[in-house]
Amino acid sequence: MATINATISVNSDIMSYPININTSMVMNKFQSCNGLDETSGMNVKKFNATSAVKIVDNTEGTAGKASKVYIRNTGSSKTNFFYVALANGVAASDSDETIGKLYGGDWMLIPWVATAATTHDIHVAPSTTEEMTLEWMVFQE
Amino acid sequence: MATTTATVSINSSDLIPGQPLSINASHTLTKSGLTEGLEIIDMGRGVLTEASAADALAEALGTADTSNWIYLCNKSTNDLHYIKVGIHDTLIGHLGAGEWLWMPWNMGDNVAEINIEAEGVTGSSITYEYAIFQESKTLPAKT
Repeated sequence: MATINATISVNSDIMSYPININTSMVMNKFQSCNGLDETSGMNVKKFNATSAVKIVDNTEGTAGKASKVYIRNTGSSKTNFFYVALANGVAASDSDETIGKLYGGDWMLIPWVATAATTHDIHVAPSTTEEMTLEWMVFQE
Repeated sequence: MATTTATVSINSSDLIPGQPLSINASHTLTKSGLTEGLEIIDMGRGVLTEASAADALAEALGTADTSNWIYLCNKSTNDLHYIKVGIHDTLIGHLGAGEWLWMPWNMGDNVAEINIEAEGVTGSSITYEYAIFQESKTLPAKT
């Protein structure tokens, strides 16, 4: 059993008073106090086409078990982005399987259910043919 | 212009033998294609009951395909409790007791709501906290 700690801090001055969110978690197995102990390792890939690419296949996890996915656009552009989607091939902006967009520097950490279906593959689609780099890591049980 | 930053650190000394894991990342939330910061926020705390169906944490009320961010935390301390998190009909994942998520939400269309549902122990309740940082939000029409 491994111990994986993840801490988020969000600070904002949107309101007239400071907003500070600080939360830590231990990534545990499904309905368990035992930690996740498998990982894909860190993946780093350069993209230079706008076609959608599968970065995580549903078979990488076990259906019904706990998984976490960390993804980050390592660039700095606030114009170019990656769509991230749970979809069967295309990460379109108007698909209800699209999660969101990662501009340069943006990161996300989400739970992921590896339901045994292509609808739970994770795809990304760059917004440009200019080179962009994505890094991602899956934590699973 | 508002400035919102989100920082993450992921650490493990024993996940990969001989290779301590240390991921650190930080970003500033900006509007789509701009360097201007997000200026709309909705945050709060609520309770979900296990027997009920999925509820919309946030409706896709605003301009489609924009830059919005979701923070959600399952405040339960019961390991059996988890929250199903989805976008419309698509399940994203299970948020276990004490766990949080941070994800973009582009509101791809007007039915792309963020929904959550308590699961795990029949009849029990799960407390959650959330914050939604948005580029665009249209208030619901008066009834």
